[in-house]
Amino acid sequence: MKEIKLNGLDLSTYVETLANGLEAIYIPLKDKKNYFVSYATRYGSETTTFTPVGSDKEIKVPDGIAHFLEHKMFEQEDGVDPFSYYSESGTGANASTSFDNTQYIFYGTKNFEDNLRFLLKYVNEPYYTDENVEKEKGIIAEELKMYEDIPDWKCETKLREALYHIHPRRVDIGGTVDEIMKITKEDLYTCYENFYSPNNMFLLMVGNFDLDSASKIVHEMLDNIENKGKPIVRKICEPNEVYIKNQVIKLDIKVPKIGIGLKIPIENLSEYDDLMLDLYFEMLSTLCFGPSSEFREKVRNKKILNSFYSEWEAIDGFRTLLIFASTNNPDELINEIIGEFKNISIDEDAFSRMKKVWIANEVKMADYVDSIEANIYDDILNYKRIIPNKLDLIRSLNISDMNNILKKIDFSNLAIIKFVGDK
Amino acid sequence: MKYTRKDLGSYKLHLINTDKFKTVMIRVSFRSPIKKEEITIRNILTNMLMHSSKKYNTKRALTIKAQDLYAADLQVSNTRLGNYINTDFYLSILNDKYTEDGNFKDSIEFLSEVIFNPDVCDNKFRDENFDIVKTTCRSALESIKENTSNYSLVKMFELFDDDSPCSYRMMGYLEDLKKINSKNLYEHYLEMIRSSLVDIFVIGQINEEEVLSLIKQNIKLDTIKKQRLPYLLEEKNMRGKVKTGKEQIVGSQSKLAIAFRVNGLSDYERNYPLSLFNVIFGGSSDSKLFKVVREENSLCYTIVSITNKLDNLILVRAGIDNESYDKCVCLIEKCLDDMKKGKFTLRDINMAKEYYNTALEELEESQYKIVNNYYMSELIGTDTIEVKREKMNKVTKEEIIKVAKKVTIDTIFLLEGVKNEGN
Repeated sequence: MKEIKLNGLDLSTYVETLANGLEAIYIPLKDKKNYFVSYATRYGSETTTFTPVGSDKEIKVPDGIAHFLEHKMFEQEDGVDPFSYYSESGTGANASTSFDNTQYIFYGTKNFEDNLRFLLKYVNEPYYTDENVEKEKGIIAEELKMYEDIPDWKCETKLREALYHIHPRRVDIGGTVDEIMKITKEDLYTCYENFYSPNNMFLLMVGNFDLDSASKIVHEMLDNIENKGKPIVRKICEPNEVYIKNQVIKLDIKVPKIGIGLKIPIENLSEYDDLMLDLYFEMLSTLCFGPSSEFREKVRNKKILNSFYSEWEAIDGFRTLLIFASTNNPDELINEIIGEFKNISIDEDAFSRMKKVWIANEVKMADYVDSIEANIYDDILNYKRIIPNKLDLIRSLNISDMNNILKKIDFSNLAIIKFVGDK
Repeated sequence: MKYTRKDLGSYKLHLINTDKFKTVMIRVSFRSPIKKEEITIRNILTNMLMHSSKKYNTKRALTIKAQDLYAADLQVSNTRLGNYINTDFYLSILNDKYTEDGNFKDSIEFLSEVIFNPDVCDNKFRDENFDIVKTTCRSALESIKENTSNYSLVKMFELFDDDSPCSYRMMGYLEDLKKINSKNLYEHYLEMIRSSLVDIFVIGQINEEEVLSLIKQNIKLDTIKKQRLPYLLEEKNMRGKVKTGKEQIVGSQSKLAIAFRVNGLSDYERNYPLSLFNVIFGGSSDSKLFKVVREENSLCYTIVSITNKLDNLILVRAGIDNESYDKCVCLIEKCLDDMKKGKFTLRDINMAKEYYNTALEELEESQYKIVNNYYMSELIGTDTIEVKREKMNKVTKEEIIKVAKKVTIDTIFLLEGVKNEGN
């Protein structure tokens, strides 16, 4: 077990890798009453085509299967429903599926050790039957319909469809009702066997617990689980250009919305590691479009912006900026954003102010067990390591690297969608 | 943790000294009897105050100032508490230990600037800023149907009791927006400052003398007010027959919203047995509604019940298919009936108690929740955490059944999702 201190945050993490490849990260916090635990696999909705371990034939499973599998993990052969189990000690439990990971969580204040044991047991004991798979289809169909009725969700899906030609991120995490209806218990077992192997998983524990006892439980429960190997997932050759440049889509909305995606191939940015690149990209969008940007002030004064939201996403070989806004004048707002992309200049004061803001936010984050968990989880998932010197890395950001990166971006590689009411 | 309460005449100052957090949070709460026609103008007002002040006269300038204070986080919210409207300003900042000497003092001055030095000339808010804020509010109000789940509640409440404060829409009303101008908005501001009851909370590792003197210097209030209106809504008679209603909306899923009246509760029942009743009935993922409607009958993905204690109300909401309406309502009624007949176990009761105990323990890990707990204690004299824990643990099954018998189904509304034939 290795101790890694997080500089400037008064936090220590302890990391160990089991013989079967599972990575366990412990952040015990004596002064907290609560804890938050997450058991995760690096497997999400976008892996639907792969060659299973021990086979030489590539298979395609139905879309939405990772999410379906997550629901079905809660089914146990002995009939003990995890929700009920955790309720007994007043512990919260849940699970979530994303494009590239699935996590099972519990959080509370009591019964940590038994709760941990139970988590490691139930996620390692799948129990799928024809009957319980059928039963779940109705519930998931309702979940998909719920999302379908949220206009902002639709906008995100439509923008990803416009950005990517073939990458499975085009497909919604939950799949479609038609696709999930095809799922069988055999499909679920295949995905489970291939992607819920300890070498593809990690366990993150933060908060009020005893380090030695927790580690003992981890070994006791997981040492015997074998490394099942790694299925082959073919690299996707996603073209550099966006798939559809301009679209108008009708939705049942009163106030128009826009979605703009900037697709950036990163092959010519290999001098920066993933983390530094992400920090610079985040800096770029914050300075251009963040709450204190000149852009925001300008469009606000023109009264063409009601709400604004942006996020970065990473797929193999690319970073993509997704921008969403609600506006009464979509054409003018789109022009303003395109104009902003054409004339990016970095203000030195704003650059140093944002560094100060980020550092302050990192320190604030350390007050709450769930924010620490979320933060470290993202680092483990995206960068496959604990980052002890994040504050220093933020301090090290500089304008000349920023400008060097800007020079290498084609800001015209945009997918633009106007969403308008259909009445 | 040390709590001190000081009556400073025109407001109460609550100081909570704790070394648990790296941040200091300040909450300034204004409350006055709620009037339906004032909700929209209050929303515009708080958006206006968050938009700019005399010294920081654009949204951008205000944002930059907050960033310069090491990412001071300023938030405002308008909520209803029984018969009252509550406007809360929150400022969360890093302790000077992590920033620099004087940052706390500057932050309090900043908060004071935002609340007490609005961007007003000739007795009205500056029109150019007012127009921006009004446009944004209008678009939010026009988009009310986008969140079908909230919209179903809005419609259900109209049916339930349009005149009662419990049915007021906190997001405001489009028809009231038209009547608001920069002049009457300023009058409303003066009225809020003049007539509201005010409580101020400061939580963190603080020097009490210093805080007291800074607050006295910066909080410019000098009116003494008294309020006699109770917080609790008056009980209305039970309906002879359940009221039902439907409305169609374009969408894949239908939203069911049900209101139950709970009349004749004692204070003790409202605070203790009712909470346990709700956890067992539909307030958790181990509840009757979750198990019966979702897990056993696959009729929905979400189903939840919540209590509005000050309104004598329980609400149930679920996302379902149109065809499941009758079956779903029938099952919900059956679950309530089972509660009345005492068809729940000791295990269920213990689960609900543990759930509550965890919530009490977690409360101590959040500045926001600690402050809110003291606030409720100031308002309606709720018990301290220790007393709460003790009383809750003693609640008996008979007491829960007694509360269950006071629960009557009153109004059922279905927002019916229908396919758009045009598409």
